[in-house]
Parts: sequence; C-alpha cells; structure tokens
Amino acid sequence: IYGSSQARGQMAQSGRPAGLPADKDTSLSATRVIIKTSGKQEDFTIADDTSVRQFKEELSAHFKCQVDQLVLVFMGRLLKDHDTLSQRGVLDGNTIHLVIRSKHGSRALAHSSRNPSTKEPCHRDRNTQGNSGKGYQPAGVSHSPVESALSVQPDVPKAHTQDLEAGNPEHSAQILGNARTQRLLPDTDLMRQVISEHLAMQQLLQQNPEVSHILDNSELLWQTLELARNLAVIQEITQIQHPSRVGLESVPGGQNALGQCPADFSDEMLSASQDPLGGNPFTAPLGGQVPGQVQSSPLSPPLSQGLGEQHPQLPTATVIYASSRGLASITAAGATPNKGNHTSRTNTATHATNGRSHTGTVEQPAGGPALPSIELTQQPQQSGSRITGSMTQSLLNNPSLAAQMMLCVSMLSEQWRQQLLAFLQQTQLSETLTALGNPKASQAILQIEQGLQLLATEAPVLLPWVAPYLWGLGWLPAPSCSYPDAVPWAWDSPDVAKPKAPESHHKSGTVLQRLQSLAGDPSHLVQAPEIRFSKQMESLQAMGFGDHYANLQALIATDGDTSAAVHKLRRSQAF
Amino acid sequence: MEPPNLYPVKLYVYDLSKGLARRLSPIMLGKQLEGIWHTSIVVHKDEFFFGSGGISSCPPGGTLLGPPDSVVDVGSTEVTEEIFLEYLSSLGESLFRGEAYNLFEHNCNTFSNEVAQFLTGQKIPSYITDLPSEVLSTPFGQALRPLLDSIQIQPPGGSTVGRPNGQS
Repeated sequence: IYGSSQARGQMAQSGRPAGLPADKDTSLSATRVIIKTSGKQEDFTIADDTSVRQFKEELSAHFKCQVDQLVLVFMGRLLKDHDTLSQRGVLDGNTIHLVIRSKHGSRALAHSSRNPSTKEPCHRDRNTQGNSGKGYQPAGVSHSPVESALSVQPDVPKAHTQDLEAGNPEHSAQILGNARTQRLLPDTDLMRQVISEHLAMQQLLQQNPEVSHILDNSELLWQTLELARNLAVIQEITQIQHPSRVGLESVPGGQNALGQCPADFSDEMLSASQDPLGGNPFTAPLGGQVPGQVQSSPLSPPLSQGLGEQHPQLPTATVIYASSRGLASITAAGATPNKGNHTSRTNTATHATNGRSHTGTVEQPAGGPALPSIELTQQPQQSGSRITGSMTQSLLNNPSLAAQMMLCVSMLSEQWRQQLLAFLQQTQLSETLTALGNPKASQAILQIEQGLQLLATEAPVLLPWVAPYLWGLGWLPAPSCSYPDAVPWAWDSPDVAKPKAPESHHKSGTVLQRLQSLAGDPSHLVQAPEIRFSKQMESLQAMGFGDHYANLQALIATDGDTSAAVHKLRRSQAF
Repeated sequence: MEPPNLYPVKLYVYDLSKGLARRLSPIMLGKQLEGIWHTSIVVHKDEFFFGSGGISSCPPGGTLLGPPDSVVDVGSTEVTEEIFLEYLSSLGESLFRGEAYNLFEHNCNTFSNEVAQFLTGQKIPSYITDLPSEVLSTPFGQALRPLLDSIQIQPPGGSTVGRPNGQS
C-alpha cells in the first residue's frame, strides 16, 4: 500500500528509498541515516525494515563497487547482511560508517609481519623496521625514582659522561629517559660526580658557584634534568612551517642548528634555579609578590650568549625554544624573590639569592641587551608590582629578559614580528619596548653600542659628548645636526622629538660648540646655519620676528639659543 | 553462530608541554589549562596517531613522548584489524593527509575523535577537543595565532600507514 509516486520531502541528494510509507504513524517508517566514508558523508533515507543486504546493494550501485567490498559499521558493530537497521538500533539522523575494501584485500602495517586475514587478534612478532632507529625504550620507564638500594654500576657513569659530552639532543633525551639513569638519580653522590665531570657544568660552576647546591639535592636535580629532557622532546616534535626557509622545516635541520642548545639550556636552567622553592623552581608562586627590582643577572650572560651564537637564518623552531627558555627564566626570575613560602633547603639558596638581587642599572651584559635594560629601569621601579595574570608584566619587571625577547623578535619573520608587536601594543607595554621591536632600531642600538666601545678605546675624550646623549637626555631629531657618520639615526619618532626639541636644540648647540672646539675644524660637521637653526627660525617667526636675516644673525651669534636670540633681537629692534 | 570478537579501544593522552602548561597557563593565557593534549588511538595492539607526516602507527607508547600521561577507555569494537587498516588508508588519502595538518583545526585530536567514533560510536573527552578554542579565546592565543598556526607536531617513532605497493 505504498504510493510510489508520493515522494517524501525528506528525499536527500542521492538516496533512493527502498520503500516509502504512506504516513508516519505506521510501525514501519523511513529513516534518514548519514553514511560516512572516505572523509565524505551523504544522507540516505531508507525504510527501517530494509535489510543490511538490500541497503548494501543500493550503496554498491551508488558508490560503484561490488557488494562484497562494502563494510558497514554502526557504533563499533559490524552490520551483518541479515540484520535490519531497526534491529541494530539505527535511529533517524544516526551515522553509519562505510568502508569500501580494495579489491585485492589483505594489507598490513609496515612494522607487522603478521598475516592480517584472520579475524582474531593473534600474537605476531613485531618487526622493528618501522620504528626510527633511536632505540628509545618506552617500556618500563617510570618517572618515580626507584629505591636507592641498587648495585652501583661503575661502567654507567663513564658511558653517560661520554654521551653528555656529545651534547647531542637525541642522546640527551635518550640518556635522560633511560631507566638506568632514573635509577641512578637517587644516588646523589654518583650523579654529582657524573655531572661535575661534564665540561660545560664545570664552566658553569665556575661562573655561578651557588649552583652547586642543586647537585646536593637529588630530587631537584632530577626535576631539572627532567625539564631539560622535556624541552628537548618538545623541540624535537615541533616544527614550524615557513615557506621561505627552504630546507629548514624539518626537525633534523633544526636540530643541527640548535645542537648545542639543549645542553646550553640545561646549564641555564641550573643557573636559573638559584632558589629551589620546595625543590623545584617551577612550582608557581608566581601569583605572589614580586619586587620589581630583582633581576637574576646570572641569567643574562648565558642567555645572551646562547642567543648571540645563533645564526640569524635559524629555523624558527628557535622561537619556540627561545620562548620556552624565556618563559623558564621568567618563572625562575619570578620565583627567586619569594623567600617566605618554603622551608627546607632554602637557607643557603636564599642567601645566594639575596646576594644576587640587583637593580637593572648595575648589570651591563655585553651586547645589545644593555641599552634596552637601561631604558626600562624606570619602569620596574615604578611598577614594582606583583605579577598579575599577564606575562607582559613579567617582562616589565625583568628588563633584560624583555630585551632578549626583543632580540628574538628581531630574528623572527616579518609576519610574526607584526603579530607579537600587535599583541604587545594591546597589552600596553611601554612604547619604548615596542619601538625596540623595530629591527632597524635594534640594529641601530647595536651599532651605537659598538660605536661606543670603539670610541672608548680610540678617543675616550669624546665620550662625554656622546654618552650624555644616550643616558636619557632625549633623542635628538636627525635633521638638525650632522654628526659623524658612525652613528646613523634610524630613529623615527617624531612624537618624542617634538616636545623635547627646544631643549635638545639647546643642548645640541652647546655640545656642538664643544665638539667644534675639540675638533678644531668644524666646517665638515656644521651645516648651513639656516638648516641648523631651522626650528629656532620658525620659533622666532612665530614670535613675530619677521626679519629673517636678523633672526639668523641672532641665532648664529647665540649659537642656536632661541631665548638669547630673542633678547638680542629685541635689543637690536629697540634701537 | 559464534559471538563476534570485541577488541578494546583505548585513547592515549599525552601532555605535550610536560606540565609546563599547567604551571604557566595562568600567567600566559589568564586561564588554567591542565595540559597541551596530544592523543592517539590504541587498538589491535597498535597505536595510531596523526601528525604533520600523516597517519602513523607504532607499538603502544612507542613515540618519543614515551608512555602516555593518561589512558581513557573508549569502548570496544568489532572492527577487525584488516577493515581498520583499510579505513585508515582511505582516511589518510582523503581527510587526513599530512598537509592537512593544522594545530588548531585539524590535529591529532581531530583524528583520534574521528577514529574513536568509527570504532565505537563514542567521542573522546571534550576537554581535549575544546583545547584549541580555549586557547584562541585568550588575547595571547589570538595575537599569536599566525605563529601557532604554522606549528606542526610530528612525534617521532611511528611509521606511516598507507596502502601497500601494488594495491588498487
């Protein structure tokens, strides 16, 4: 009693119903199901009493394959030919998965040599070809240190030391993950010996003797090594796709370039964890009070060295790595001043921490970071606030870190730089900081730094001229003075220039005077007075002194001093 | 008639950040994340996952990540290994090619969710699939989106799942 001409409104794109009911109230009705296969899905409407076999026949016509090739899966159950859909509980709108077998059948995984045609899971010997040849041992590695009642293995330390010397991140990850290493860790003396023998560690200990307490605490040591290992793992599994960097996308390439970094990083982490709060520098009392003045200076040299060593063309997995370093040092820096919370093992460390607290002005790491840290010293002292939920606050409180992150930024691609800067602007960081994100600006700063160093060796007498300028007298606008070409101004900040222009012109006048007397022959340094004093000329004009020539003469006589020139002009006009 | 064989299906959950996300997310994102989750499906004594290199498989726990941080019981399936591998092959050629990998929209967890539903009809826990939107709903995530978008995750230790040579 089915009227075939009465098409149901539910007719979907390709489904041809096996039979149509006249109305819904009868016990048999049509069901709309979604067939998912090969990443696509389509709707089909069929009667509930349709057998699976019938449905398969319909599907085989639609998908152009043989009925035998079809496998229907619903809720993880294979649908058998004699079932009906309603028997299997298929309801309206349900999804049924369809697998279309290939005609030849029988496939296997690359690492399995088993014959897959049997239905039951049977034992198979695993062919390890498919695995990468690292020999990584996942089984049996547990993170809980085993009891220390172990037989000491004298050959192990040597092997470990050799591998640590290799500095290969793969090896490091392997070694650290190795079950034997895990068992060794509770044995503090042995680990201390192993690690002390590592060359880089010795250097680190020379620089930062207070780090040695880490070796005393096996748990802290283990956690620190664990962290280093984890970061090495993260670095290894992460790639960044960047079309312009040919051949640098793959992890191996990135790894070679960053080959030293995990070793560096573990050194830095050890130096960073000066204050083992509860044994782990990363337990996060970061919500606590953080006095703005504290700056973990031992962080700066290793970090800046680490960054400085990197080739500017590095794959940008550097970013992840650098930011993870940066983050780690944020947490360490943030963690260091929190003295009150933790008891055990903090005595010597706390003392060391106190000794290490500096204000930003004191420490001057070599290279670019020096200047930005100076600029930002004003900020931490004023803000001196607790770290809120924002990382940028941490950056404010840790100026050298912020500077290093800016250097990272300058190594990033243009696109990412924009994004980072946009973010920083949104979060209302000092506009100085964002301006530092301008790569030309940071290059300029580096050049200035280099120039200063050169000047200090070649002609220290000139330093008072150059140095006061840099130490916050204000940025001089480019056009008014022509200085020796060793110091190019890439600075383009008219906002800053304008309010300070009158003063700076005044100062530039006196400074130029000084320079003239020093140099003896000022002609190549001094531009035409009209250009030199253009701003002052404008001021005089604005004040109502219309005689251009007289203004110029007055300015030349007072060497750019506008107010003195005004006096002069008034006196002369009175006559 | 013999009862059908039921094979257990597990979800292996790894925290890619190894605990760093739990500690640093309040500061960086302004909200608490328990981890950066990478998942894989374990069935028929093999682990299957999706990365920038496409669908891969390995012995359970056999990637560089080591053993999982937690294991979720997804259910059980009648799907045999043979059928499952066919299914994965067709998936790897259509929806889950390596180039289709995207950290936010089409990642390992997308794959695990898809496969879990095929095998058992169940989805994977929502705290895993909600992670991208959790991150993107923060200013930090939004601002760094282009950078994060270009990140590709491929845990070493697996071999690609594909059609054997000579197959049609």
